[in-house]
Amino acid sequence: MRRSSLIAIAPLLLVLATGAAQAHAFLDHAEPRVGNKVATPPREVTLWFTQKLEPAFSRITVTNAAGERVDSGKTRVSGSQMSVPLRGGGTGTYHVNWHVLSVDTHTTEGNFTFQVGQ
Amino acid sequence: MDWFGAEIAAPMVAARAVHLAASAITAGVLIFDATVLAPAPSPVPQAPSIGSQLRRVVWFALAVSVASGLAWFVLQAAAMSGLALSEAIAPDMLQTVLVETQFGQVMLVRLLCVIVLAFCLGLDRIAALQRLALAAALGFVGAIAWTGHAGATAGGEGVVHVAADVLHLWAAAAWTGGLLALVLLLVALGRDPEASSARIVAVRRFSALGLASVGTLLVTGAIHSWILVGSLRLMFVTAYGRLLMVKLALFALMLALATINRLWLAPRLETGATARAAAMLTGTAAIELLLAIAVFAIVGALGTQHPAAHFLNT
Repeated sequence: MRRSSLIAIAPLLLVLATGAAQAHAFLDHAEPRVGNKVATPPREVTLWFTQKLEPAFSRITVTNAAGERVDSGKTRVSGSQMSVPLRGGGTGTYHVNWHVLSVDTHTTEGNFTFQVGQ
Repeated sequence: MDWFGAEIAAPMVAARAVHLAASAITAGVLIFDATVLAPAPSPVPQAPSIGSQLRRVVWFALAVSVASGLAWFVLQAAAMSGLALSEAIAPDMLQTVLVETQFGQVMLVRLLCVIVLAFCLGLDRIAALQRLALAAALGFVGAIAWTGHAGATAGGEGVVHVAADVLHLWAAAAWTGGLLALVLLLVALGRDPEASSARIVAVRRFSALGLASVGTLLVTGAIHSWILVGSLRLMFVTAYGRLLMVKLALFALMLALATINRLWLAPRLETGATARAAAMLTGTAAIELLLAIAVFAIVGALGTQHPAAHFLNT
């Protein structure tokens, strides 16, 4: 009855399971930090994800307080890190929108803001 | 469409399920050929037609997996780019997906395996090419691990995850393709009393192959679940977890049938009511095969779902 003893092991292994791995790319942290305030407009925005990204289908767009695009449109991806250079866009609330494809073929997207100046 | 509380994209799930099942059968029949039917020095004294019949099954399964693989690739390109299917099949978009994404590169490697496999099948009189055909088929199936969740798990855990998934795919192929080949062999041998020793040898060897497959499936499946589900509670509250439980239930049914075959029917092949036991064995193996196909339908859907573990952190 070796098979049935194997059947008994499977649920046991599942019960013991407590791992918490990531299986899709989620935002781990960003620079400027999410929701934070910086004195001057940053030269670029960098996002770190929980997983490797596909450069061909991952991008960041950034708009300033007036709603104008201030990113260069040239998102760079390196492993699980993604950044985009910014043009100066004045003070106020900046909106960062990201859309990424992780190497396991799943897309995720999200957005956050940070403050520039006062 | 909705399966057990999981939102299902029907064309993608169908393409994946057909592709996975056909790929598994392609490799599994070759594994059966190498380990059950014709391991040197003592091949099964077989019905003369079974070798060429299995070869036709491999060709057919390979053709189906190529066609469904193309469908999967195009649907995946559309999903990746966020474009409508009609826009996504533009050559430059397909090229971007094929060359620049991990999914595309893995599919390219698998296409090379198909070419090598087809070449070897065409010239299979040469023994070395039969071994190369088996290796190409194992590569074709094993590489699927890198298209999915395992291919994106980071670090040392990622290596374990990919290794577990490769072994899981091989074991699933050996069991599913082996079942199909066994059913065809038993049907070909028919009720001929003189085929009794062939039946006994084939069933005994397939039992060993099945046992090794089941053991591998359980261990590697547990590793995969540990990484992607994360906790028992998430098995119940997420769509991924519920689909996985349906898969496990189907698997348990297959195990029950396999146990009946191994402990009750197989010994009867060697004692009294041989013909009746052989007929029943063919029937239960065929039902096991249908359950295996149902498992592939669930797996087709699982890969499109967000794994349960991701909800731990949100």
